[in-house]
Amino acid sequence: MDANTERGDGEPFDEPLTPAVRPVGAEGDADGAAAGEAIQVEELTGSRRTLDPTIQRVWALQAAVPSLVLGGIAGAAFAFLPVGDAWVGTVVATVVFALAAVLAVLRYRSWAYEVRGDSLYLERGVITDVTTVVPYVRIQHVDASRGPIERAFGLATTVVYTAGSRGADVSIPGLSPERAEDLQARLKQLTIAAEGEDAV
Amino acid sequence: MKLDPLSIPYRTGKSVLRLAWVLVFLFLGSPLDGLTGAGLLVVAWFVVALAYQLIYYQRFEYELTDDSLDIVSGVVSRRNREIPVRRVQNVDISRNVAQRLLGLAQINLETAGGSSTEASLNCVSEDEARRLQSAIGQLKREEGQTATDDEPDAEPAVEERRLFDITPKELALLGVTGIDLRLLSVVTVVLPVVAPSLRERFADPLVGLAVTAPLAAVVIVAVAAVVSGVLAVTNYYGFQLSRRSEELQYERGLLQRFSGTIPLEKVQTLGISESFIARRLGYASLAVETAGYGPDDAGSQSAVPLADRDRVLSLAASVEAFDDPDFRRPPRRARQRYVVRYGAVAAVAVGAVFAADRLTTLPVAWYWAGVLLPVAPVAAHLKWVNLGYDVQPEYVVLREGFWTRTTTVVPYYRVQTVLNSRTVFQRRRRLATLVVDTAGSSGLTGGQPRALDIDADRAAELREAVADRLQESLDRRQEKRRRERLRSIEPPTTGTA
Repeated sequence: MDANTERGDGEPFDEPLTPAVRPVGAEGDADGAAAGEAIQVEELTGSRRTLDPTIQRVWALQAAVPSLVLGGIAGAAFAFLPVGDAWVGTVVATVVFALAAVLAVLRYRSWAYEVRGDSLYLERGVITDVTTVVPYVRIQHVDASRGPIERAFGLATTVVYTAGSRGADVSIPGLSPERAEDLQARLKQLTIAAEGEDAV
Repeated sequence: MKLDPLSIPYRTGKSVLRLAWVLVFLFLGSPLDGLTGAGLLVVAWFVVALAYQLIYYQRFEYELTDDSLDIVSGVVSRRNREIPVRRVQNVDISRNVAQRLLGLAQINLETAGGSSTEASLNCVSEDEARRLQSAIGQLKREEGQTATDDEPDAEPAVEERRLFDITPKELALLGVTGIDLRLLSVVTVVLPVVAPSLRERFADPLVGLAVTAPLAAVVIVAVAAVVSGVLAVTNYYGFQLSRRSEELQYERGLLQRFSGTIPLEKVQTLGISESFIARRLGYASLAVETAGYGPDDAGSQSAVPLADRDRVLSLAASVEAFDDPDFRRPPRRARQRYVVRYGAVAAVAVGAVFAADRLTTLPVAWYWAGVLLPVAPVAAHLKWVNLGYDVQPEYVVLREGFWTRTTTVVPYYRVQTVLNSRTVFQRRRRLATLVVDTAGSSGLTGGQPRALDIDADRAAELREAVADRLQESLDRRQEKRRRERLRSIEPPTTGTA
């Protein structure tokens, strides 16, 4: 799966970025004020976006192992019980997996994120629907991570950390590696542009 | 600088005692022949520990420079740590009985990073501890003002204003209300040690169990209650809170004295909690949260353990200038939700008791469980009545809880993230929960500050409003700081070294 299947490709994420980290002394400004002015916030923000549809497969696949284990346990249990037989395990595994697949689809549909002017906006959740606003001033650091299954499907996750007590880090899964990197770079620049005081 | 030399015997003694304590548990009840071996082990350990502590003392050095506390330590692996004074959240001094006898004190520094205490000087002399505590506070103030005065020593001693002294009555009340059932876990550790001797009294193990189990339960609860009451009293004995320019300082403890500073500049949230009993009597407690502590050690954050409610409110208002909150309750359909929820729980409970009556031979008066059904709506109402939120120009104030009602005051400029969440059940009633996350460790107040079950549209509106106000207040603060900096630059000063 390549990046072309992502919705809303093109503007504004395709524009080249100025590097967020510049060599020391290049600008001759330690205060960050000039750097803040140099960053054009409008160019970095984007409209509401959804995830790469491939993420549904990743999530479904991630449920495969647990459902097989559950099926195995159920099968073993029913093999020894007077009622039913080992085939119940197969049914259990199938049902659990099917449920997980449905959940994966719903989860994908519930996901949306938006790089706004002063904050990152996230919307997700099937059973509990959560909407999060992360002001750029509060971002501590941004990671791009890729798990083994994600790598196999050519996806990546961007993780945003704040100093908050709980729910402190928010992650955006299902991004193409380029988009994840791009998002990381954008958030980095926006955070620099926001340049608040000490986080805590 | 080095630690106090007396810290060598103190630390050695502590480590030997710790070993001896373990040995007591190991050899308790075993025949005496293990005792000489244990004694030898203790002596050997004493020699090793003494040697280790000597080297530890030799290799431990700290220095308070103009802008940081540098610590070089470590016997085998060396660590060179530098803590910028500006980043220090709390400076705590603790002195247990042994330390007090030796004139020692342990000083702990907390910063927002990491989960554990960032720097611990164990131990320095009492005077040195006080000197460090006030010197760090002083340095921090100077840095905050970007050097308006360059002679820290020439400045007169900072004015100290006493804010609160605990009265014996309040202390006694604290002992009653402070009964902490978490101590049960400690008691359950001690019990197996005591229990075998009890069990031997009875020939038949089943009879023994039947007699000892309820007895043990009663004893456990009673002991736990007494112990936690006594602990609350000894912990907060002689509690006093004072204010030194931009810092709160507290002191407390009967046997182990604690003294800590809370820089007002680092305050994240305020928590006013009133337990069920305290509320009846018109008392409350105040917690001032900083980002320094890990989620587990919330103990020392309590700014006022227990005091008259009005007093607590005025103290809180002196720390953060919030208005007297005028709470808005969640819509009535939230209460319906609780009625349904508690009703369902009650119905299940009644059903379970009924099933126990039918399926077992035990005579259970199951209809008594029916009492739960009328209780459910009352509980729902109490939960609903205690919920509330108030959106003020500078603060958002949130309230929750019946058994312990907690009012949390969150300044907008401390907000880290804002989120609203809706479960399936909430969506049915168009309700949502708004969570305002801060960097506070929220150990004492428990959980995140949130407005539970408010109208879904309102929650979304508030989410954006809180985020916007965060930006506004940050802008304001930045503007203020810039002006202050300009003002401090205008007259020619030397600036901090």
